[in-house]
Amino acid sequence: MYILSDNIISPLGFSTAENFEAVCLGRSALRYYSDKFDLPEPFYASLIEEDRLNEAFGKLPVNHRRYTRLEMMSILSAYSAIMDSGIDAGADDVLFVFSTTKGNVELLDEENSFEKERVYLWRSAQIVAKFFGNDNEPVVVSNACISGCAAQIAAMNYLENHNYKYAVVIGAEVLSKFIVSGFQSFKALSPTLCKPFDKNRCGLNLGEAAATIVYAKEDDAVTVTENAVRLVGGAMHNDANHISAPSRTGEGLYRSLMQLCPHNIAFISAHGTATAYNDDMESVAINRAGLNRIPVTSLKGYFGHTLGAAGVVESIISCHALQNHIVLKTAGTEEVGTVNPINVCLANAEITELSFIKMMSGFGGSNAALLFTENKKID
Amino acid sequence: MDVYILSSCRITNDRLIADGKEVLTRNCEKGPAWLNTIYRALGIQYPKFFKMDNLAKVGFLAAEVVMHDTEIARDRENYAVVCLNSASSIDDDRAYQQTIASKELFFPSPAVFVYTLANIVTGEIAIRHNIFGESSFYVYENFSALRLYDSIKDVFNNPDMSAVIGGWVNYDEDCDVLMLRACRLSDPEKMLLSENNINNLYK
Amino acid sequence: MEELILELKKEIIEVLNLDGMTPEEIDENAALFGDGLGLDSIDALELIVLMEKNYGIKLANAAEGRDIFRSVATMAKYVSEHRTK
Repeated sequence: MYILSDNIISPLGFSTAENFEAVCLGRSALRYYSDKFDLPEPFYASLIEEDRLNEAFGKLPVNHRRYTRLEMMSILSAYSAIMDSGIDAGADDVLFVFSTTKGNVELLDEENSFEKERVYLWRSAQIVAKFFGNDNEPVVVSNACISGCAAQIAAMNYLENHNYKYAVVIGAEVLSKFIVSGFQSFKALSPTLCKPFDKNRCGLNLGEAAATIVYAKEDDAVTVTENAVRLVGGAMHNDANHISAPSRTGEGLYRSLMQLCPHNIAFISAHGTATAYNDDMESVAINRAGLNRIPVTSLKGYFGHTLGAAGVVESIISCHALQNHIVLKTAGTEEVGTVNPINVCLANAEITELSFIKMMSGFGGSNAALLFTENKKID
Repeated sequence: MDVYILSSCRITNDRLIADGKEVLTRNCEKGPAWLNTIYRALGIQYPKFFKMDNLAKVGFLAAEVVMHDTEIARDRENYAVVCLNSASSIDDDRAYQQTIASKELFFPSPAVFVYTLANIVTGEIAIRHNIFGESSFYVYENFSALRLYDSIKDVFNNPDMSAVIGGWVNYDEDCDVLMLRACRLSDPEKMLLSENNINNLYK
Repeated sequence: MEELILELKKEIIEVLNLDGMTPEEIDENAALFGDGLGLDSIDALELIVLMEKNYGIKLANAAEGRDIFRSVATMAKYVSEHRTK
C-alpha cells in the first residue's frame, strides 16, 4: 500500500516538514523536567506545550465538543494528513486505525468533567473518527511499544483483504504521572539525555507525539507521486520468553526480520530505546539476520520514546529520509557499544538503496519489522 | 482456505464452558477468587499465574482450556495469539493508579505497572505455549463476532501460520471471555470458523 | 535478626505473590534469584519498592540491589544496617 500523505505533531513542529527539518539539523525535543506531573523525581522528556497545542487546535474548523489532549493532538495530526491526501475521510471505504498504549489514562488521576467511558481507548478512537465524519468502527491497536508498527500491518490487512480503499493510521501518546511514574518504577528512565547503542547508555527518555499516515490500496486507481513510498511488508513475532525483559537471542525480532527477506536495504530504523537490554537485543537480532553492515539509526534522541506513536512517527521520518537519500544520525550517541557489533550511523550520510526497515520491540515480548520501498521506475 | 475451530472456552462471571459444555460453576466470590478456583480446578502448576493481573489470568486460563489436548511443544513456530477486548487493561490501570494516588504513600509498583499494557496477556500465553508467531491486541467498543473472525482469519494470510489462539478477553469488573483455537485444515467434522459459529459459542 | 528475617519472608511472599508458600519454606540462605525461589527482574524491582516502602531504604537501580537481594539473610543484614524506619 502507498503512503499518500503524513503528519507529525511533536515539540519539534506540527508538520512533517518542520519535524524532518529539525531532525536533519540535529535538534532534539528532549528537555529536563522537575516537579512535572507532581512527581518526586525529575526526568528528561519530550513534551508538547499546552498553549501551542490549544492555539493550533483553535484554528481548526470549529466543533463544540470538549477534547482531551490526546484527542486534540490526534485530530490535529489527522486533519493535516487528510487535507494533504485529498481523500474524503468520511467515505465508507476509509478506515481509521488508531495506535496508543494508554490513551486518556490520565483521566483516572483526578476529578474531571469527561464522561466515565472517556478513559477507554475505543472511545478516543471513535471521537477522532467522528470528527472527520467517518462512521466505520475504528480499529484500535494496543500492542505496547510496537503498536505503531502493528497498526500499519493491521491497515495493510484491511486494505488487502477487506473493502477499504484508504486507511488513516494515527499513533498518539500523551505523557502523564501514570506513565512516567511507571517507567521510573521500572528504573528504565535515563538520568541524562538518552544515548542509543552507546556503551554508556543508561535508559530511555519518554516523549509525546501524534502522527498520521494516510495509506491507499495498491491496485486502486490512485495517482501517487513518482517517489511515493510503499509499505511492502510487515512481520510480527513473539519472543515467548519474558513479559518485560527482551530476549537475549533477539528471537522474535530475528524471526520478524527473516520473514521480510530484506535485501538492498539502505538503513535500519531501529527501536534503539537506549536501555541496556533492548539495544543489545537488537544488535543480536541484526547480526543473526546477517544485516550487521547495514547502517542502523535510532530516532529516540530527537523525540524520546513516544510509545504508541513511536512506530508511526519513526516510520514517517525514515520515509522522508529515504526520499531525501539520507540516513539520519543517531542523536546522543558518542561511543557505540553493543553486545554484537552493528553499524550505528553517527552522522547524516548519503544512501543509494531504495528500501529501509523499521523495527520495534516491546513489553509482552512483541516484535515487529516493516519494509518500506521508494517507488522508482527502473529503466 | 478454510479455518476450523478445534476447541473453545467461554469464561463468564459464573461459568466455565469448554467446547460448549459447562465444566465449572462459580460457588465462591466473583472476581479474583473465581479465577483462582478455575486455576485449581484445571490442576495446573504454574506459579507465575499468581503474579498476573486479572486480565492476564483469565486469558491464560482460557488458553489453557483450548490447548489442553495439545502436546507440549518446545517451539510453536506456526502459532499466533490474537486477543480483542473493550476495556484494554482498565482493571489493572485502576490498581496501578492506587499505588500513585497519594503523595504521602507514593510507591508506584513495577509489578502492577507492567500489566497496564493490554497485550501482556498475549505475551503470557505465548510464553506458556512457546508461541513464536505474531501476538496482537485490538480494542473495540463491544464484542463482535465479525471482528474476531476477521482478526483470526487475517493471521492466516501469512502462509507460515497454521494455528491461532484467539479470542475476546475482557475484564472490567465483570469477566467476559471467549477463546478459540483455530487451525487451517480441511476437516468437515470440525466446526467451521464463521461469524455465526462464533456467535453461538459466545451466547 | 531472627524476627527481621521472618518479617522479610512474610513481606516477600506477599508482595511477590508467592502463592501457597510459607515463611518456613524459604531458606534464608538460599538464592532468591536463579535456581532458588526463581524470582525474575520484575520481582527485583518490586523488592526495591519493598525496601523503600517498609524500611525507608532507597536503591537507585536493580544493579545496586544485586548483592543485597542475594538471599533473605543478606537482605536482613542490609536492612538492619541501613533502615530509616
